[in-house]
Amino acid sequence: MADLTVHLGRLHLDNPILVASGTYGYAKEMETIADFSKLGGIVPKTVTQNPRAGNPPPRTCETSAGMLNAIGLDNDGLEYFLANHLPYLRNLPTKIIGNIAGKTEKEFLEMAQRISKETGLAALELNLSCPNVSGGVDFAIDPEKTARVIKGVKEFCNLPIIAKLTPNVTDVAIIAQAAAEAGADAVSLVNTFMGLAIDWKKKRFVLGNGTGGLSGPAIKPIALRIVWQVAKKVKIPIIGIGGIASVDDVMEFILAGASAVQLGTVNFYDPTAAQRIVSEIPAALKLLNLDSVSSAVGLLAR
Amino acid sequence: MFQENAEVVDQCTIASKTHLIRLNCPKIASLIRPGQFVMIKLPGGNDPLLGRPFALYDTILDDQGESIGIEIVYLELGKMTSLLPAVVPGQSIEIWGPLGKPFPIFSEKKHVAFIAGGIGQTPFLAFGKQLLGIKAYGGDSLKKTLEKITMIYGVRSGSFLAGVDHFESIGLELFCTTDDGSRGFHGRVTELLKTLPKADHWYGCGPEPMLHALCKLALEENIPCHVSLESPMACGLGICFSCVVKVKAEQGWDYKRICVDGPVFNADALVLE
Repeated sequence: MADLTVHLGRLHLDNPILVASGTYGYAKEMETIADFSKLGGIVPKTVTQNPRAGNPPPRTCETSAGMLNAIGLDNDGLEYFLANHLPYLRNLPTKIIGNIAGKTEKEFLEMAQRISKETGLAALELNLSCPNVSGGVDFAIDPEKTARVIKGVKEFCNLPIIAKLTPNVTDVAIIAQAAAEAGADAVSLVNTFMGLAIDWKKKRFVLGNGTGGLSGPAIKPIALRIVWQVAKKVKIPIIGIGGIASVDDVMEFILAGASAVQLGTVNFYDPTAAQRIVSEIPAALKLLNLDSVSSAVGLLAR
Repeated sequence: MFQENAEVVDQCTIASKTHLIRLNCPKIASLIRPGQFVMIKLPGGNDPLLGRPFALYDTILDDQGESIGIEIVYLELGKMTSLLPAVVPGQSIEIWGPLGKPFPIFSEKKHVAFIAGGIGQTPFLAFGKQLLGIKAYGGDSLKKTLEKITMIYGVRSGSFLAGVDHFESIGLELFCTTDDGSRGFHGRVTELLKTLPKADHWYGCGPEPMLHALCKLALEENIPCHVSLESPMACGLGICFSCVVKVKAEQGWDYKRICVDGPVFNADALVLE
């Protein structure tokens, strides 16, 4: 029996398959089609301190083997999340990793402090990298700001902290290193790549927001390269994200240095992919004559 | 809700660029109700990557009356619907559903009108059968809830009128309109609607400008109206937050997801811009 458990700093998962924030709603939407007990964990949609209406539609558009999104963190705010979504989430038979985004450092700290009083979360992922709300200035393009937010959050919140970083920088490793030094338990690599779609016949942008974040199979090789580069330089565990849609993709990220992965866009077009992929991991490990996920992590990064 | 790998039973062309495809998907077929939809994805490829939403046209029953599949009617319009006609019987496609909420039924109504534009006629065959007590869906029992259905079905040109015989065969009163005057009334569905006796309730489905005109007319005429909104969707499940529409809220308006909060909305709830 293969050992699928993974350890991300203080966060322990039954298996390495998580579903990514913003690609699984608040889980309740999936309750009649998914088997949550099979998943390593769920990262619900990003919560902000105050409600946000989000961006005007169209909010997504399909591109070659991928999609652009500019949802704009449409959510009802932290208090609504704690009162209406967390009671459902905390009773699910899997780990729940909260995901928050602050407009300012102060907002991040206040939200972390408020969340630390609640039960039911296994960890907290900091969305330092949503390309659609910050006007292009993300925390995670700056190693010092990234470190400050993580250090601050850790003062107020005892949960394991995961920093979700943007690929829209020259070298993600510098930011990941700063996150590690600030005490993050793990880094999630990567959020979407900033992109653009134009309807030239109508002489306008396709998305209501103009630019959007590119995700899906189209970005997988770039995300895989970033995970591999960061794994060679940074000691803390990496959660790989970017176009993962099959057990083959999962194994590639694990060998590149990811200790766990998040499935994102695939949840939209293959809603039972996550549980199916979990069931396929033991056979994949066996092909490599391995009996645990942890023994496969970073085989090509060391 | 289920995800099924559905075998294509057959497929035929029923109007210009308009096709009827029959899919073997018993789990979804036994649950789905008129007004709900499914997402369909061609297998094995990343282009197109995402599924596409299609309304239930009708369910397929076996000899014992058990639901074993569904019919979808689609118009060739984009990348996916242009590839779909090449799918042949025996091939499989990915399908998940039922999605969204069914049409609401009001038992006190005697006469309702369906107002359809473009490819927006598709949800009304099953709904008509349900209301007239011809067929039941989703495990419900047969129930005739009204006396009469009038349907106004508009397309740009007569060659796009699809399934007229299907609609006529269930005994509803059908009026067709065309933008170019090639068949039926020459003009818009709402222009014809104004000239007809007032129904107790309107149900609309079609392009956004048509639905906006319909909703405005319903408010002017004080006729209760529900509309089924068409929208591109990435998931159909409520997890991506793409397909939003502005609805009235306590503080002005809020975005609601068409896939889970709709696709059928009360005309009175929508913010029309």
